Amino acid sequence: MSAAGLIQPRTLPGGCPLWLIERPGAGILSAKLWMRGGSSADPSGQRGAAQLLAGVLSRGCGSLSGDALADLVEGSGAGLRCEAAEDGTLLSLKCASSDAPSLLPLLLQMVQQPWLVSDQIDLERQLNLQTLQRQKEDPFQLAHDQLRQLLYSEGPYGHDPLGVDADLRTLSRDQLQQLASRYGQNGAVMVLAGEIPTNVEELLLAGVTDAHWACQPPQRSSGPQGQSQPAISVSNDDTEQLVLMLGATTTPLGAPQALALRLLHCHLGVGMSSRLFVALREEHGLAYDVGVHFPARLGDAPFVFHLSSSSERAAEATTELLQEWQRLLDQPISEAELELALAKFRGQEALGRQTSSQIADRHALVLGHGLPFDFADRSLAEAAQLRPDDLLAAARSLLAAPSLSLCGPASALEQAEAVWRRHSLSRSQPQPVASSS
Amino acid sequence: MPASPGLTHQPLPEPQRRSLGNGVNLVQIDLPQAPVVCLDLWCRAGSACERSDESGLAHFLEHMVFKGSQSLEAGEFDLKVEALGGNSNAATGFDDVHYHVLMPPEAAPQALELLLDLVLQPRLDGDDFAMERQVVLEELAQSEDQPEEVAFQELLRQACGSHAYGRPILGRRDALEAHSPEAMGAFHQRHYRADRCCLALAGPLAGLDLDAALNDSPLSRLPRSEPLAAIPTLQLQPGHTRIELQRLEAARLLMAWQLPGAADQDTVMGGDLLTTLLAEGRRSRLVEQLRERLRLVESVDLDLNVLESGCLVLLEAVCEPEQLQEVEQQVRRVLLELIEQPPAEAELERAKRLVGNGYRFSLEVAGSVAAMVGNSQLWGRHHNLQRPLDWLNDWGCERLSREVIPLLHPDRAFSLQAVPS
Repeated sequence: MSAAGLIQPRTLPGGCPLWLIERPGAGILSAKLWMRGGSSADPSGQRGAAQLLAGVLSRGCGSLSGDALADLVEGSGAGLRCEAAEDGTLLSLKCASSDAPSLLPLLLQMVQQPWLVSDQIDLERQLNLQTLQRQKEDPFQLAHDQLRQLLYSEGPYGHDPLGVDADLRTLSRDQLQQLASRYGQNGAVMVLAGEIPTNVEELLLAGVTDAHWACQPPQRSSGPQGQSQPAISVSNDDTEQLVLMLGATTTPLGAPQALALRLLHCHLGVGMSSRLFVALREEHGLAYDVGVHFPARLGDAPFVFHLSSSSERAAEATTELLQEWQRLLDQPISEAELELALAKFRGQEALGRQTSSQIADRHALVLGHGLPFDFADRSLAEAAQLRPDDLLAAARSLLAAPSLSLCGPASALEQAEAVWRRHSLSRSQPQPVASSS
Repeated sequence: MPASPGLTHQPLPEPQRRSLGNGVNLVQIDLPQAPVVCLDLWCRAGSACERSDESGLAHFLEHMVFKGSQSLEAGEFDLKVEALGGNSNAATGFDDVHYHVLMPPEAAPQALELLLDLVLQPRLDGDDFAMERQVVLEELAQSEDQPEEVAFQELLRQACGSHAYGRPILGRRDALEAHSPEAMGAFHQRHYRADRCCLALAGPLAGLDLDAALNDSPLSRLPRSEPLAAIPTLQLQPGHTRIELQRLEAARLLMAWQLPGAADQDTVMGGDLLTTLLAEGRRSRLVEQLRERLRLVESVDLDLNVLESGCLVLLEAVCEPEQLQEVEQQVRRVLLELIEQPPAEAELERAKRLVGNGYRFSLEVAGSVAAMVGNSQLWGRHHNLQRPLDWLNDWGCERLSREVIPLLHPDRAFSLQAVPS
């Protein structure tokens, strides 16, 4: 990419890979520290621990109290976020490059020497509990939570990264301390993009008690699995619309058929010329919001169609949505459709590389998955080799047995459920799991 | 004090302006590092331009534009743009509407031609109109299923009185059901006019010859508008109300204040500083007091909405229903304290850093640069990208205390408490 400048791979003393992507000019620095072990690594009975810990990291570390740290970060006009997702915990810093000397030392201090003050843990816990409660206002969230249960049950991907009310209430400081002591042991990577100070390693290690933060580069390994058998779950809610989510668990980022699925995602759900947008919105006026959710995951990623439609049109919406899924299994997409999907895939890559922060983020993600630094470029080249039959084969092996989650008023649920029961997808047999390579 | 704290001083790119023969303004800004070009067509045709029987028409028209033009079939625009590796979208606000396309530079000339054709010569086919009405009604239903949006709409309805800002951009259901393609065509003709449109281009523009195409385009052939009634200045009514909402899980305190309109950019910047000082980050006054110390709220946000007829500052606090009274009292206390006693230098400095960096960070993206210069140009504001940073720096504690802080007096607000029913 012309926008990306000099790239330097280095290693911090304890083993953490450090990638520097030089982008001079704007006076901005973005730093990402990605550590494997997000909410999918929450110990049994401690669902929500990874996120709670992440939230407390910036509430005091090293020699700085929570207030002092906030004064330093906000006083520099910088942004600092610590968040757990399913597969990892991400620390994100964005600042003026001239403030890097005072801010870069925070990253490893937060990881190695968090204060974990009980009072601050309680506050963060209370905020997470309140957020979990408030999220129930959103029918999309309800349908999404319900689908997650169908797809992952009690498995590692079976809960919101924020956690579960009952577990969150009992999490102790000791439990968080134990989790914090394991940061980096399952792999970590640091990526900096923007104007990078010359003594960057020195700054990153400044203030830490042990410059040898023992960690290893993230390895390729198999992530959490999902279930694949047709199931339905409904939730009765007094809404105008019926929310439908139809999804299956698929395959990790970088797995053999993941790229074919990515192209199907572009074909079905990216842009206003996408198949679902045209078929459901433009041709039937069934929805305002319709699309596909297919996040990058270390394990079996969900592949989900989502749609919300007026409750009186529940039967029609369900019929059309199921038909679109069935179509993926019945026939290959055309050459022209594949060409368009490829153009969107390339376009998305270009648009995702506009800022230093985006560039650092995307590289941290693929490196965190144990994939090579140039994974995105390789994928672009490989995608151009795929044929419509490859996409059909991927759909047949990974999307054969979707589950349906519904949220809406009783009458709409009844109609939608009846359509589902009559459709062959509700009786589909999952393909035998292909041997992973 | 340094001119812009925190960030190094590379001169910012200068907007280049010119007009077409019919008076349409063009603004271009070269960003050699950007991987894409943004083309952004702005028009003074937001929902505030609607007559009483036109509720929702501005936004509905924005949808219909994508259903094709005299030379483009429905969906053809999206297909062509996306096949070239680009994407497009549009947004309708109270004051204006804009249509934007992000494109790889080499495809920008083609995208420009498509965009101008699409927006300025919409087909407004009757069957497409009926179908798209369904989509807009679904959009309305979707927003009505979000109780928070319902609460905000109610706040604006009561606070803004008869002003257009009190009416929903999506429109009223009964009005949407009554609209016709002819009425929409008339709205388009009235507002999508040479003196009410402008085009902004941002990205790696060097070497792209767009001028010739612009000089002979639907944009260059747009007539000027007939005289239109001026949109009145907002007169926000202070007041108080309490509503019960179904499906609400946490209570909300919503408050609205009026600030001067967007034409007063200097005061807008002061308002930005003030909302940041009050509610951006853990050490801001409201967050520190309500969330961190008293632990009354899950969150408290304060947003500045920059609008032509009067800016709106909107507060949202999320809390347990039984804490609502206490939350409102504490918000009041924090505001009154700030009115009594000017902020400390360090507090203002912190806000300046946050606002200044946020602004500089946004300049990394061609789309946000195009939107900034496009919107300014549309409303006759010709400052460059550096000017807002200068305004920012000129604010001091005394002046903020004198000119802006009093505008957020709690007695000047309309406040709405929403509780689960």
